[in-house]
Amino acid sequence: MHQLLEEIFGSELIAIIIASSLPLIFITVLVIFAVLLERKVAGHMQDRLGPMRVGYHGILQTIADFFKLIQKEDIVADTTDKRFFNLAPVLVFAGSYAAYAALPFSSAYIGSRIDLGLFYIVAISSLVVAGILMAGWSSNNKYSLLGAMRSAAQIVSYEIPTVLVILSMVMISANFTVDGKGTLSLMEISEIQTSSFWNWFVLGGAGFSLSKFLLLPFTMAAFLIFLISSLAEVNRTPFDMPEAESELVAGYHTEYSGMKFAMFFLAEYANMFAVSAIAAAIFFGGYQSPIGYLGNSLGIEWLVPIEQFFWFSVKGVFFVFVQMWLRWTLPRVRVDQLMTICWKYLIPYAFVNLTIIGIISLI
Amino acid sequence: MKQYLLNTWEALSTIFIGMKITFGHLFVPAVTIQYPDVRVRLPERVRNRLYVNMDDCIGCLQCARACPVDCIDIETVKSLPTEDLGKTSNGKKKALWVTKFDIDIAKCCYCQLCVFPCPTECIYMTDVYEFSEFGRNDLVYKFATLTNEEAKEKAAQYDVFMEEKERQKAEAAKAKAEAAEKAKKEKENEENKEDNKDK
Amino acid sequence: MTIYDIIFYLFAAITVLSAFLVVTAKNIVHSAFYLLFTFFGVAGLYVLLGADFIAIVQIMVYVGGILILLLFGVMLTNKITSVEIKSGTIHVLPAVIGLGLFAAFVLSTMMTTKWKSNPAELPFTTVYDLGYILINEYVLIFELLGILLLIALIGAASIARKDKE
Repeated sequence: MHQLLEEIFGSELIAIIIASSLPLIFITVLVIFAVLLERKVAGHMQDRLGPMRVGYHGILQTIADFFKLIQKEDIVADTTDKRFFNLAPVLVFAGSYAAYAALPFSSAYIGSRIDLGLFYIVAISSLVVAGILMAGWSSNNKYSLLGAMRSAAQIVSYEIPTVLVILSMVMISANFTVDGKGTLSLMEISEIQTSSFWNWFVLGGAGFSLSKFLLLPFTMAAFLIFLISSLAEVNRTPFDMPEAESELVAGYHTEYSGMKFAMFFLAEYANMFAVSAIAAAIFFGGYQSPIGYLGNSLGIEWLVPIEQFFWFSVKGVFFVFVQMWLRWTLPRVRVDQLMTICWKYLIPYAFVNLTIIGIISLI
Repeated sequence: MKQYLLNTWEALSTIFIGMKITFGHLFVPAVTIQYPDVRVRLPERVRNRLYVNMDDCIGCLQCARACPVDCIDIETVKSLPTEDLGKTSNGKKKALWVTKFDIDIAKCCYCQLCVFPCPTECIYMTDVYEFSEFGRNDLVYKFATLTNEEAKEKAAQYDVFMEEKERQKAEAAKAKAEAAEKAKKEKENEENKEDNKDK
Repeated sequence: MTIYDIIFYLFAAITVLSAFLVVTAKNIVHSAFYLLFTFFGVAGLYVLLGADFIAIVQIMVYVGGILILLLFGVMLTNKITSVEIKSGTIHVLPAVIGLGLFAAFVLSTMMTTKWKSNPAELPFTTVYDLGYILINEYVLIFELLGILLLIALIGAASIARKDKE
């Protein structure tokens, strides 16, 4: 992909700039689609219809909303800390956008082929926390500050089970690499789970060995833990205390309006897809097709990466849908319940899971 | 420890039950009615916007008196005997020009109390419920069929008529009085004559 | 001047500028926020040096951990509704002397050191070797550090805990 761009434009710099802005286009399209999906899912789960008036069954609703948002007046309250108030949405979006650098969209396109992909994503998402704290503090509003504090505490806490689960999956990946070393690269992890859904990590990894069947229940548990803690990491219901409309108005983005609010919104949906894509990559084969490629059987080579991109998006969007599904199923938990779930349940389970997976991988 | 595992199991299983239910609802037909395009059939006796059929109104003011919030404002002018205002649909003879019949629907409380006293059943509730306006004054509905000029004309005409009548009355009274006086005088004269005869 | 040079100067500028702002900012929360950019710039420099693992650990530990902790500390220990948290300049003379000595030391070291100027190598995976070394050669230190952190954690928890009457 990168080479192709370089050949087309004849300059490394332009190729880099274009390659790095591709996920932005993806995010924009995705958000337009995901917001509509969210509203439609919400509607139909409550036996309503959702937006219906803009376009056929409201498919252009998000675009209309987007134009509404960019027309809006940019209101900055008088006592806010202007510099950081303006910087915070950028930082939050930068944090969630940076995660896309290590997501393998297909075998032909990944922002950066660093070997520490997963580790990088976990680390860079702390920029989001800093941005949220900045937004909450600079708004000079008690609800915003409370929301920001809650959000930061929540994300920092839930990073632990997430990382433990990721660690256990990386340990499993060591069973399947050529040199016996585990890998942190999402690309390599996806490559391992190739050719069939039977090889997915959620089903214990490739092959028919005994260890696969021993691992199977524990990888499934790992997936559940990851799903729950990733929900908390992106502040989705049932863990959406930071932006609880009914108690904190809207948490850290209470004071934001217009395009700055849109940035937060964009970042939230970008984050949703990012964690979904990670879940898809480490448990469900990433961009690998579960049933084989049309391009391979037809002998058209360039079709394969496009198919891979398709599968990656489908898996990602499916987990985004699961997040929405959970949102309209579960009520919001209390702050103490949130911490109980994390520290008393998820972390012990993740630890035990990690140990067991480690032992099984050794034998 | 047992409780701990039970809690975990309960949480997970109940979440899955909940998810099953919400997923099922994805395929339940929506109860939404697409309002401006599709409308619910209103019940027969709904109380919405008032309407007055001025052809039947006899200007009896009963509705205005019944109104608890005084949102009906009626002014009438008597017609001349020479004018024929026609009859209402249930056979009552109209005798008044209704020069003003204003209903301030913004004040209306939709109690329907004005409807029952109407002897000709000309004021009634319709099934129109979309009548929002930008100005509050636009919610004052004017039902009077006469234009302002006509109303003034009628009033003036009636005044002229009344004056005329007054004058005629006065003349008649005068004539009567004169006649009475004349008669009295004649009587007196006759009495005097008879008195004279007697003498 | 290649792209990498430009990126290097960009990160260096971010680091130096934000570090300057950390020191000069009147409001301590502002300082903490500027510190974020300092850490981030340093991480960028690590990446350019081919030390990707260190760079990511830098972001994870400093931005994701220490900075958040710092902000929490500042926000929870002061009045949060009114901005009364200020940092001022005190002890100018001793500071100037100390800083002068330190600057002289750094400069003299910089002048006397023979700098290796190898062409930049492509970064290879360091995480596997690092992990291998940590639990083979330096396992004792690694474990001791772990125990130290654990003790600190338990200590903090026991201090924070309410005494049962």
